[in-house]
Amino acid sequence: MKALATVAVLIPVPFLAAQTKASKPGPQSAPPAVVERGKSLFGQNCAFCHGREGGGGERGPDLMHSDLIASDVRGNKIGVVVLNGRPATGMPAFKLSPQEISELAAFLHAQKIKSDSRPGGRRGVDVSDLQTGNVESGKQYFNGAGNCSTCHSPTGDLAGVARRYRGLELERRMLYPRDAPATATITLPSGQTFSGKLSYRDEFTIGIIGESGWYQSWPTSQVKYTINEPAQAHVELLGKYTDDDVHNLMAYLQTLR
Amino acid sequence: MRNLDHFHKGLYTCLVVLLLTSVFSGRLLAQGLDLATIANPPADSWPTYHGDYSGKRHSPLAQITPQNVPSLALAWAFQTGQGATMKSSPLLVNDVLYFTVPDNVWAIDARSGHQIWHYTYPPNKGLHIGHRGVAMYKEWLYFITPDAHLICLNAKTGTVRWNVQIADVEKGYWSTMSPLVVRDHLIVGVSGDMDNLAGFLRAVDPETGKTQWQWDSTPPVGTPNTASGGMTWMTGTYDPDLNLLYWGTGNPTPVLTGKTRPGDNLYTCSIVALNPDTGKLAWAFQVSPHDTHDWDAVETPVLVDADFGGQPRKMLMQTSRNGYFFVLDRTNGKNLLTAPYGPVNWSIGVDKEGRPIPNPAKEPTPDGRLIAPDEAGLTNYRSPSFDPKTGLFIVSAHPSWSIYFAKPSDGTYGWAGADYSVWSKEEIDAIDYQTGTIKWRHEVGGDARAGVLTTDSGLTFTGDDAGNVLALDTSNGKTLWHAGTSVRMESSPITYELDKRQYVVTGSGGVIFAWALPESVQ
Repeated sequence: MKALATVAVLIPVPFLAAQTKASKPGPQSAPPAVVERGKSLFGQNCAFCHGREGGGGERGPDLMHSDLIASDVRGNKIGVVVLNGRPATGMPAFKLSPQEISELAAFLHAQKIKSDSRPGGRRGVDVSDLQTGNVESGKQYFNGAGNCSTCHSPTGDLAGVARRYRGLELERRMLYPRDAPATATITLPSGQTFSGKLSYRDEFTIGIIGESGWYQSWPTSQVKYTINEPAQAHVELLGKYTDDDVHNLMAYLQTLR
Repeated sequence: MRNLDHFHKGLYTCLVVLLLTSVFSGRLLAQGLDLATIANPPADSWPTYHGDYSGKRHSPLAQITPQNVPSLALAWAFQTGQGATMKSSPLLVNDVLYFTVPDNVWAIDARSGHQIWHYTYPPNKGLHIGHRGVAMYKEWLYFITPDAHLICLNAKTGTVRWNVQIADVEKGYWSTMSPLVVRDHLIVGVSGDMDNLAGFLRAVDPETGKTQWQWDSTPPVGTPNTASGGMTWMTGTYDPDLNLLYWGTGNPTPVLTGKTRPGDNLYTCSIVALNPDTGKLAWAFQVSPHDTHDWDAVETPVLVDADFGGQPRKMLMQTSRNGYFFVLDRTNGKNLLTAPYGPVNWSIGVDKEGRPIPNPAKEPTPDGRLIAPDEAGLTNYRSPSFDPKTGLFIVSAHPSWSIYFAKPSDGTYGWAGADYSVWSKEEIDAIDYQTGTIKWRHEVGGDARAGVLTTDSGLTFTGDDAGNVLALDTSNGKTLWHAGTSVRMESSPITYELDKRQYVVTGSGGVIFAWALPESVQ
């Protein structure tokens, strides 16, 4: 410890400042030309949704506050998302080469360093922005008008929810949990039934993954089916909330740590 | 004798050639595409983005009917081999289809789907978000690039005739639109939401690319207390009798914060009527005064001549991104009807001129506001269709909720805030144009983006978010036929007749599909 402290004292102050200002050392740094090519690719393919600086734009979230970008190393996580898209949230897949992925990642990391160091000018939604609600009113709404307590319990499924999710992610999940599982039961003309996790549904085909783990599907015209979609209750609430209800409910959920 | 024989043989050959030409072509290829054909497209053509000047996307073709449509089958498919999603409407002229994805134009045989030529524009800095297609006049195609250049191509070969810059990509402009040919003008528009830029519509000379006039949507950038923006990124419509061009303008910038741009922000989020020869404004109707939610009013201004309230009217109809359906008298811009066609919570009513009144409490805030619809809007660039027989305006709608944020540190440049979609679903809605009531709704998944085409036989062609191409009964919305393509359609279907066979052409992913009845069924 002592030796370390001594070393620190010996480092000249201007050098320290340079270290803080320079791009993050180690695996993420890339030559300016690579960052520039990544910027160009980002501009052509990504900027429309994620904003030119990656701070969020039309439909696409703020990448500068994204956990995925923060934990990516040279495109290992960014690449997976770019190449496959995120069908559930509407992000398309992009056919980029491995080199283009690393250029894109280099730009995003350089951009994140720039964004994180921007004094007082952080864009996007911070946890501190979402603290305007009243806890007691939110609790009342949870147990009263919102009917949340019909399905949820602060000591059951929601115990510790504010530790699992925070800020904007918590609020979006509160309003509508996109990945909440739905189940389906299919009844064949013979009366035989199949139940499982709803895997696919359009007007013509219904598919489930049953206990066996196999995917099975049927033409909707030849079977009867029921779908249990608990998240639908969240959709019913969207037209009923006042903005205060949303902020109060958010304040209450943030106490469930 | 021999000479005479030769002469007779030659004459005979000439006659056969003439006969074949008239049977199989029915037109003089040398002339390319003329204005008369654009104004009154025959059944074997789709010469403009919307198919005709009215934007109705309604075809008189009736070979495919509600009765025989269950037999509809794939005639051919064309694979672009590109990662980019097909968002263009092909043109059909002289048996050749012309269509695009960003940086790419193809000419393919409309009978077989085989490629005639492929033009590639060099890599460039523009946004490659999508491309709506080319325009054609005479022997020339007009292609706007992501970096907002206008390229004139030889339609026979795909070679470049000239290239002019429409706007500066370095400033933040880009373009995706299909130009419109009106008289001797080529009408071009621009995109650009990420910077505080002036929107404009421009007429250029189709021969030279020289600017004929420019109409600016907003005051010069930097004018105090005014908005920039009002981009003109979708193809408008035209009434030859009134000689008026109808165009929708985009949202104001900065996008999500309105504090530096008090007031209505004319002419953003507006439908404007311009003289195509001078660019002079005849009238304007603003569908979203002081928008703070990115709801461009660029959706097709559909021109319909029909009765309204018992009186014959020349109307303009728009299902706007902001969630309202508007019917205007297109001779003067006066409002006949304003009605929401899905969940809308951002206004406190409609003013005496028929414009929604924005609720100041629903402007984006630091702690967020819950808003319907979401930023993609209750509909978007995908085309609606008007069916004259039923009086139904049919639109692919996107009921949705979202949260909108803006705080001082987001600044007053470009996007200036953040918004997040919470939930959405997609449905095809049939709106009674006289009342705004919904005659039927047909659900098509969570995030479908297909346009709509109707035909005189009572069919509605569109798609769902799972990638099924659908044929619905226009009168009640019931599904009559479908085919899975695995990728959702993000373009609008077209139809035409060749060799007495009706084709419906759709695009999804990087593939174009031509659907027709098997010859045994026709």
